[in-house]
Amino acid sequence: MSYYDIDLILTDAEKIPCTFQLDIPDLGYLDNTPTQPLKAGTKVNLPLWLAEMLAIANAGDAEGRSFVTFDLPPALGNDVVQALKADPRAVPLRDQSAHFYGLATQMMELSEEQELAAALRKTFVIRASEVALHARKVGGAGQRGKGGADEGSNLGVGGAGEEFLRGLDEWERKLFRKAHDGTKSGKEWMESIKKH
Amino acid sequence: MPMYGDLGNKLVQHAKRTQNLAHLPPYQTELIRAVTREVRDLDKDVASLLEPFQGSFDPSADQATACTLLVNHLSMRRNKRCLLAYHRTRTDKLEELVWNGSDVLDLAGQQAGGANGAPAADGGASSSLSPQEEDYVRQYGDLLAAYKGQWTDIDLTGSLEPPRDLFIDVRVLKDAGEIQTEYGAINLTKNSQFYVRHGDVERLIAQGYLQKLG
Repeated sequence: MSYYDIDLILTDAEKIPCTFQLDIPDLGYLDNTPTQPLKAGTKVNLPLWLAEMLAIANAGDAEGRSFVTFDLPPALGNDVVQALKADPRAVPLRDQSAHFYGLATQMMELSEEQELAAALRKTFVIRASEVALHARKVGGAGQRGKGGADEGSNLGVGGAGEEFLRGLDEWERKLFRKAHDGTKSGKEWMESIKKH
Repeated sequence: MPMYGDLGNKLVQHAKRTQNLAHLPPYQTELIRAVTREVRDLDKDVASLLEPFQGSFDPSADQATACTLLVNHLSMRRNKRCLLAYHRTRTDKLEELVWNGSDVLDLAGQQAGGANGAPAADGGASSSLSPQEEDYVRQYGDLLAAYKGQWTDIDLTGSLEPPRDLFIDVRVLKDAGEIQTEYGAINLTKNSQFYVRHGDVERLIAQGYLQKLG
């Protein structure tokens, strides 16, 4: 967690659906109508960096309302969660959001959705072991497939595996790269030991 | 419909790409200018919003204005973060290059000026670094040299791999002039080949003057 973290900054640009709670004359541009006031009840998709503070900040009236209320983004909607509960490995998370887990973590901090949190935790654990499996296989195939590079990579990944890897979100991709590089370096080290 | 912060986001996407590159892509002068202009515009908006209140603005009495101010403030803060992160990503990369011993300024000029190897003698206008970054590299290099100077018997930026052979074959890629070794002077002219002591030419290999053979 760093102020300068590029991935964190990009995650903060993910948009979530918000509803304004009061009329604001000068913010019409947020709803594509710069010349008109923004009416209470207008639904606008706002990036997290904006939505978060507007939702937390107290508008300053007696009831302690905030400027906007927000809903869960479609990426964390019921359809997706049901699909994840059925089989976490079958859902291409990247199609929902390139920063799926980052977005989810941010949302969890804003609202307490125990059930959703549990489903996501399970999703990550199951998918992480799958990621590790693929990462090991790819390295192994590269070693074996000296004769034909194409054949080698097919042996390791396979059609379904490729599809799964394409659907990884940024965090999972990093995990994959680390696992893959780790296996490779380990193998290289073992071989250099044998040589000398 | 473009929104405040969109340009900043573009900048961070550039930074993301930079992280995965071996070299440093050109500095986004235009984009930087556009983002800073956006911050200035937002600041002007805030000033004109607050003007009628004569310094006694009460957020609970005028919630709509308070919300507009908050949005403006957050947009400026977001832009600031994008700007800082973009520059930090680049300086991190520059520091790495300096530690690796590559001739950053020469490298940057070559990349922009094509493959003809002409050094950036034309005032640095074609460099992929901003003038400030060039300054940063120069001063960081001085700092590193001063730091290394404290230990004369160990080369802090030297290779961590123990050498297999004391002597190696090298080919000269760029004219590097004459160097002094224990066994006399060698004149390094382009395309010539030498059998030299590894320690004598380690720096020149890192800087891209020589290529190790075998």
